[in-house]
This record gives sequence, structure tokens and C-alpha cells, in this order.
Amino acid sequence: MFAITYRKIFLRIAAIVMLSSVLILATLGLNLGIDFTGGSLTEVSYTEAPTKKTVEGIVTGIVSDGFSVRESIDDAGKEAFLIRTSDLNDEQRQELTEGVTSIGQDGELTRFTSIGPVIGQELKDKAGWAIFGVVSIIVLYVAFAFAGIGTPVSSWTYGGITILVLIHDVLVPTALMSLLGYFLGVEVDVLFVMALLAVLGYSVNDTIVVFDRVRENLKMNRTEHKKKSEEVGVVKEEVTYTLTKPYEEIVGSAVQETLARSINTSITTIITLTALFFVGGSVTQTFALILLAGVLAGTYSSICIASPLVVTYAKYKASKESKK
Amino acid sequence: MSNKQEQESEQAKSFLRWFRGLVLVGLVLWLGTVVYQNGTAPDSTKPFKLGLDLAGGSHLVYVADTSNVDSAEVSELMNVLRDVIERRVNIFGVSEPIVQVESSSFASENQNPRLVVELPGVTDVSEAVAEIGRTPLLEFKLYDEGLVDQIDALENLSTSLGTASSGKATISMRDSEGGLLERGQLPFKDTGLTGRYLETASLEFAGTNSGRLSNEPLVNVRFTSEGADLFATITRENVGTQLGIFLDGELISAPVINEAIVGGTAIISGGFALEEARALAQNLSFGALPVPIELQSTQTIGASLGAEVLEHGMEAGVLGLSLVLIFMLLWYRLPGLIAGIALLSYITMMLALFQLIPVTLTAAGLAGFVLSLGMAVDANVLVFERMKEEYRSGVSSREAAASGFKRAWNAIRDGNITSLLSAIILFWFGTSMVKGFALVFGLGIVVSMFSALVITRTLLMLIPDVKIDQGTLTAKLLGSGLGQRQNLPQKRENSNPNST
Repeated sequence: MFAITYRKIFLRIAAIVMLSSVLILATLGLNLGIDFTGGSLTEVSYTEAPTKKTVEGIVTGIVSDGFSVRESIDDAGKEAFLIRTSDLNDEQRQELTEGVTSIGQDGELTRFTSIGPVIGQELKDKAGWAIFGVVSIIVLYVAFAFAGIGTPVSSWTYGGITILVLIHDVLVPTALMSLLGYFLGVEVDVLFVMALLAVLGYSVNDTIVVFDRVRENLKMNRTEHKKKSEEVGVVKEEVTYTLTKPYEEIVGSAVQETLARSINTSITTIITLTALFFVGGSVTQTFALILLAGVLAGTYSSICIASPLVVTYAKYKASKESKK
Repeated sequence: MSNKQEQESEQAKSFLRWFRGLVLVGLVLWLGTVVYQNGTAPDSTKPFKLGLDLAGGSHLVYVADTSNVDSAEVSELMNVLRDVIERRVNIFGVSEPIVQVESSSFASENQNPRLVVELPGVTDVSEAVAEIGRTPLLEFKLYDEGLVDQIDALENLSTSLGTASSGKATISMRDSEGGLLERGQLPFKDTGLTGRYLETASLEFAGTNSGRLSNEPLVNVRFTSEGADLFATITRENVGTQLGIFLDGELISAPVINEAIVGGTAIISGGFALEEARALAQNLSFGALPVPIELQSTQTIGASLGAEVLEHGMEAGVLGLSLVLIFMLLWYRLPGLIAGIALLSYITMMLALFQLIPVTLTAAGLAGFVLSLGMAVDANVLVFERMKEEYRSGVSSREAAASGFKRAWNAIRDGNITSLLSAIILFWFGTSMVKGFALVFGLGIVVSMFSALVITRTLLMLIPDVKIDQGTLTAKLLGSGLGQRQNLPQKRENSNPNST
């Protein structure tokens, strides 16, 4: 199986991807939107838009501190401006609404969001907790579901590797978001967090399917040895297994056999996400793009990272034990 | 067992298979028409519920300041607050407003409860805020001699300090109960008697011998029995003191208490004009707020924008669905067709659940649903791949299907349980927007498992039982799809009569 045979190359690629993702995140950071920082976002659309300068002029008269005005197209295809400011009070909001709708042709306020800093902080906390909760429950479940898998690595190894793979799958779309934020000014919002959580779910599912096949193949290719010993009148039975085939071959055939499924499920998911990206409207466009990156990363990792990593770890463990 | 009997029991089995399949398909078709009617009929009792971001409207979040309230009373007070705001919202005629209390989760440091107000169709948020905010906060406070001196002292100190150090230093002073004093504050202290103890308020006119201008408009306030007791105690203990009546923090009148008032009513007179007094009485009886609230976040989505988002979302759904159906049909042929039927059933069942529960559909929920279309076929794909392996090894199609289901079950179970756990945690921790997504995601997992394990399975069993080496049309349709690979897994060689 190519993924196992060339595992060093695949793992190196993964390491490079992860490292560069971390570097991108560390240097560029994330462009947090008002969902997290608090502030106001106003979208005003026109049939015939005024110049950006005019809009900026109006905003300057109302807000004293920093603001940004960005040209955009609203979902109805009309020319629009996105105005980001600090959290506005009632009076400022009214002034702004009157100001921007009076210029241009048919000015219309299509969206207004204002979020207090407290809610923003709470959302950040909640997002963090949710991701932490999901990850821990997954580790526990995998370790539990694969308990008794025994030779040559324990079920916790599978659980741990599932998490490593998860980190890879989440890092890639997050790094993409960082790039989008830096170059295109795209902001991190609640939808992004949801996209990441969906990626988590997808990635785990993908990895588990492969590991499940490994588990099944292990059971088919091993012989059982039972050793009975008696200690102080209590009969203890110890079961050990010997594999009838090399471990890497067993894992390799598991990857091979689940390959078609992995690719097909990815294809159907990618199809719907692509549809969402191109026709789904601007609100969910970034969401679809982030998910696409996550699904691609998830497919790569379930084939080229998860199983190769198990094999590499098993080899490492074996060589350590033989040295003893 | 004779040959004839065997044949008969085979016929009975076949009949039963067809019967089950037809019942299932019939049920799904029936559900489909119900969903369609519910979704399109103008007077439907169970229409699709669209969130504000799809229908347009305003979403307001208020924070209630419960710092002065006993923590045991908070939840009750919040319910009172919700009722009051709901009455106010109903007055200005919004269809299906949502007013709900949201307590912050334990993961947050801020423990003040919130009130979420959703006003579909209201896009002028200033107007809405003004309407809600108009509800007055009524307080009764007692004049306190001691405070007068303190406030004077604070004023003097602040003034001299302000001129001496150009306002950089600040000074703070507390009253006898530890409350922070403010400059310019009136010398009244809280009594605990507020609008929460109010039952009704009505407009009255002063009589000729009441010592007031005759026919002066007054507001008559009636307390609840609890409030009446409190009012009686306060008035009994403070005869001769001024009782300040504050509306939204402003002193409107401060009559001197002449005797204990036990009747549970009070008169507010403040030289009102007729209109003023009427509005005040109305506002008070429609609800004086039990606790002060502050607007923390607002969100408005224009109605046209929402409709556009909905349309785009549906277009994406239809396009995605068609492409997935085509893909499955090309790759898996006959089983692919069955997976397609299962996928359509999945959609029907999900839409029915959206109407029944009801699930409020938002842009995020819609995106989650479109995503789930791609993932819902996963269980089918898992089973078909397994089935294909078995089938190619020479097992008959029906046997292959049965063992495909059996062997794929572990993977389906583990994968779906972890996803379901994630959905539950999301629902638990999430804000209302995340909750909508988590609900759609979680329902999708359960329903897609049902569609794969029940519908796909039942229909798959309907296909005539064939073997790969029969070479008939059905056998070809069941075959490999476009995915024919020459290097098949050679694991179960011993069961494969064609192996070389």
C-alpha cells in the first residue's frame, strides 16, 4: 500500500504543512470580527453607490475613533458598503443610518449588527470550551471503542493519533482563514467556529473508519495464546496475540480497502460544498471555503497520516523494546 | 421439507420484502406531500420557521442588572421581566416575536442574565429599541438627612480637588449601606419598593377637596399584596419623611408621608398634563420593569437580504443534491439509485422534523444541512464498498448486501457516535446561533443513519438475487460501477471461486 510504503514522505509533507500553518498563524494572526471583539457592522446598499470617500466623510462626523469602510456587493447583487465601527450607541446609530441612506441612489440599510464587548468575550470562551469538550470526548470514545485491540499498540495510541490528525485538520483551515484575513480582510465570525467544529466531526469520522478496518483486520490475522497461571488459589488467564502477518501489511490493506470509501465520501461532500461556495450566497461563502479546506485536509490525513503514523509508532516501540 | 413448501416460503419471503419496501416508499412519499403542503399553504399550522437572518428582522440582547437582587430571586424576576417585555412587544404588533431569558453559561465570568428579543420583520431597530425602552423603571425612595451632608461634602471635595489637580484625581464616598455615592445625586435612599410590586396603575383626577388643584390628572398605583405590606411598613416607620417617587431614575414627586398607608395604593402626582398622566398609567400597568436592563447587542437584517440568502441557500442545496445523485448513480449503478432514494428520503424526513419540532432555520443551519447532504451518503458508501468486495468474491448479491451491512456497522456506529457526541456538546455550550447548527447537525446524523440502515437496506433486498458470474443485466447493474479496479483485495481468496 503506497501510503504505508512511502509513509516517511507523507508524514514529512504533513509535518511541513502543519509547521507552515503554525508559522502563518503565529505571524499573521487571525482577523477577529465583531462577533468576538465587540463593535458595530453596518451594511448599506445602493442602486447607484456614492464614492467611498463620501461614505467615509459621513462616518468621520459620527464616530471619533477608528473605523473602516469596505466596498462590497450585497446578496441581491447591489453595490454596498460595509462599515465597521466601535460599538455604537442609539444616537450614533440613528445618525449613521440617516447619514448613509441619504447619499447615493436608493440607499438602504440591509444589515446592522452591534455586539457589546462582554458578549464577544463570552463567545470566545464558549468556542474554546466547545472545542476542548469535543476533543476530549473523542479521545475517550476512541480509546474505549478500540479497547482490547491489544497488539502491538494500545487503544490509547489510536485515540492519541486521532487527536493529532484532528489538530492537523483544524490547523489547515485556520491557517487559510489567517491568510484570507491578512490579504482579503475576511473576518473570523461565529460561522467560522462552526465550520471548524464540522471539520472536527468529519475528520474523526474519516479516521475512525480506517482504524475500524485496522481493528477488524487485526482480529482476522492473529493467533491467540492463553496462558493460565495460578497464584494463591486464584486462576489467572492471560491472553496474548501473535500476528500472522507483519503489522504494517495489515494496516496497509486496511487503508487500501477503505480507500474507495474515503475518496467517495470526500467527493460527495466536496460536491455539496462547492455548490455552496459558488451559488450559496455571500453569507456562507467563507464557511464553505473553510470546510472545503478542512475536508481536503481530513481526507489526506485519514489516508496519509493516521495509519502511517500508527505503523511508525509501532516500529519505534518495537525497536525500543528489542534494545532492552 | 418438500420442494413445494420451500418454493412457497420463498414466495412468502419475497412478498414480504416487496411489501416492506412499498410501505416504506409510500410512507416517505406521504411525508413528502405533507411537508410540501405544510411548507407552501398560506394558512399552514406548521410552516417552516425561518430565523431572523433569513426572514429579516431585529435581534436585540439586553443585559439585566441583577446585582441588587437576591440571587435566589433572579430567575423569577427574569420571568417577570420577560412577561413585561413580551407585553410591550405585543403592543406594537409584531407577528411571532420571541422574547426569552438566556442565562450565561458557567463558562462565562459575567453572570448577569440576558433577555433576547427577536422581532421578525422589524428592520427599524431604533424604533424597536425606543418602544421597548419606553417602559419606565419605577422606584420609591426615602429622603435621608444624612445623605444631604455627605453629598454636599462630596461635591465640595470634588470641586476643590478638581481645581487643584486639574481633574486627574478622583474621589469616592459610600453611604451608610455601602452604596457608592455620585456627584449630583439626590439625597434619597433605596427602600426596595420598585415597579416589581406593582399590580395596576390607573388614571384619576383629583377631587375638589383633596388639597390639590381640582381635576389635576393623577396616577393611582395599586401594589400587589407583598408590595402593599412593604409600602405599609415603609410609611409606618417613616412618618414625616419625604417619599421620593422615581421614574427611570428621575424624581417626579416627593410627597411627605402623613400616616401609615395600609390600603396598598399610592397616588403619583407631578403636575402632569392629561396626556402625560395617561401615558404613564398605561406604561406602568403594562409593565414597570422589575430590574433595570441595558441594551448590549443588536442585529438587523433587511428583509430583501434575508430572502436572497434563503434563495441562494436553496439553489446550492438543489445543485449539490443533483450532483451527488448523479455521482452515486454513475459510481454504484443500481445500489447508487437506491442510495439516491435513501438520500431523498433523508431530505424529506429532515424537512418534516424542521416543521414538527420546529427548528428555526438560519443561514448557518441551512449551510449545515447542505453539508449534511454530502455526508449523509457516507453510511451508504461504507456499506456499498463492503458489499462490492463480497459480491466480487462470488457471493450472491443479497448475501453480499446483508454481510455488507453487518461488517460496515462497526465503522458506521463509531463514526456516528463520535459525531453525535460532538453535536451534543455543541448544543450544550453554544450560543443560540451555534445551537441551531448543532441541532441540524445532530438530527442529520440520526436521520441519515436511519435512512441508510432501514431504507437502503430494505430496498437493496428487493433487487433480484444474482451472482457476478451470471452476466445478466441485473448482475452488470450491480457490478462495479466506474470504480472497477483490477487489483482487488485478495483477502478472502478461499471463498472466491473465480480466483486465479
